[in-house]
Amino acid sequence: MRQRMDTADCFVVEGKLALPYTYFAGRVGSKFITTIRDQKKILGVRCNHCNKVFVPPRQTCAICMEELQNNWVELQNTGEVTNFTVVRYNDKHLPRTAPFILAMIKLGGADTPMVHILEGILPEKVRIGLKVKPVFAQETTNTILDIDHFEPI
Amino acid sequence: MSAYFGVKVEDIFATMPERFRPEGAEGISASYGYNIHGEGKWKLTVKDGKMKIGKADDLSGCATVTTTDGETFVGINLGKVDAMKAFSSGKFKVEGDFGALAKTAKMFRKYIPPQKEMSTREYILDMFATLEKRFQPKKAEGLDVTVGYDIGGEDGGKWTAVIRKGECLLKEGILGTPTVTLKVQSAADWVALMLGKIDALSLLSAGKAAITGEAPLALKLGEIFAPYVPPGEKAKEPEQELIVLRKTISVNQRFATGPVMGKFLNGLKEKKILANQCPQCKRLQLPPREVCAVCRVEATQWVEVGPKGHLAVNEIVYYASPDPLTGETRETPYGSIHVLLDGCKGNETFTHLLRPDQIFKVKETWQEEKGSRLRPVWAERRTGSIHDIKFFELDE
Repeated sequence: MRQRMDTADCFVVEGKLALPYTYFAGRVGSKFITTIRDQKKILGVRCNHCNKVFVPPRQTCAICMEELQNNWVELQNTGEVTNFTVVRYNDKHLPRTAPFILAMIKLGGADTPMVHILEGILPEKVRIGLKVKPVFAQETTNTILDIDHFEPI
Repeated sequence: MSAYFGVKVEDIFATMPERFRPEGAEGISASYGYNIHGEGKWKLTVKDGKMKIGKADDLSGCATVTTTDGETFVGINLGKVDAMKAFSSGKFKVEGDFGALAKTAKMFRKYIPPQKEMSTREYILDMFATLEKRFQPKKAEGLDVTVGYDIGGEDGGKWTAVIRKGECLLKEGILGTPTVTLKVQSAADWVALMLGKIDALSLLSAGKAAITGEAPLALKLGEIFAPYVPPGEKAKEPEQELIVLRKTISVNQRFATGPVMGKFLNGLKEKKILANQCPQCKRLQLPPREVCAVCRVEATQWVEVGPKGHLAVNEIVYYASPDPLTGETRETPYGSIHVLLDGCKGNETFTHLLRPDQIFKVKETWQEEKGSRLRPVWAERRTGSIHDIKFFELDE
């Protein structure tokens, strides 16, 4: 096929797609968020079958398919970093300006880690096993950012 | 005989004569059998605007025989069970003429369970009978107290709740001097208070109730005992706050035109509508594409068409989805049109918009008859976009 070299008419159209949407947190998700917001407590749910405690809470155990929504467990407000990454690019959907740390944090009493922002430590100093605690947001937004971030103890 | 949703199967059948509507049974002469598992068999006979219902062992000769369980039967009659769902899941079976059974719905008024109003005395007795059950040991940890209840009036009585070592025992009469005693002049006020119809403060301030002894303990009673729930009612769970977030995400997009679409869009800038033509089948493509969709050969020839044409199709849109480039939603209704521009034929129509105030004034192409003559309205500032044509309007 002939290579078309004539690019005189080529140009680029810039657009901005706005997508309005509604997010419903559900009963389980709503209780998780409102408890963080009002009581500064982080809740998980326990599966009575496999005895695992999930956080963020979920309605059904992914392993046993058991209903979990009423098995609320209050977790400790301390945990440890089980993994982390350093975000080194900026994008408007990101919660902080780069570089910042996103860590997987396993709270005391939980069997699964939750992802959140880790502050108060340099990216090169973070280690797996670091003990951290949540810092709750002053101004709440009904999102997971009602925990503003975690910081080392 | 069990009750389902507080109603017995028998109640439904026994009330049939009083719920019968002769006008709904006009011209119907049939028998209907009901076989309710574990409850028995009933036969309904309808003739000359009269009905007869009764237990029967033999259901032969019935136009239909309905077989179901008590819960489904009562549930459907009360509107608590969806009949179609019960039918499709096999819980509700019908043998015989289904259409005939459907007619019975018009023959009877809906069954309404009798509302049993409890008397004040019944409430008082039930409230104290359930007190021990409503005791919450967790909230009474370490408590060693007695609570006296002195409910006045004919329906009242005296009771003492002994709370000790995480247990609660209710005794009749006032035992010694309770740690705290609640005295209410009228039993009706106590019932209203327990049902949440009045609050304690207004009773106290009106002098209709009094607290003697350790008043702070009286305030804790609401925690020590779970709220009273009348029989047959479900405990109300406090309304949970449900979180709903409304957001708009904004996504940056870039669209590279390529040489073919680029030439078409640049043409619009100069008020030219350009189609490209297949060298083999000679059909026009508008908007142009690199390859002929039919012959799959490169379409290299360019032809200027229009700019005027005849309306082929006018679709009136009442529900607009957001514009992918701006996220804005067009005002509805609008006319999404297909115009056969001069120089095009057959299906070589061009899709655009119609001037909003003319969407009901135009005429579409119909068989041999051509649609309304339209002309494009060009934007003042043209950037090489499909919106360089604002819309088409009647060429008058």
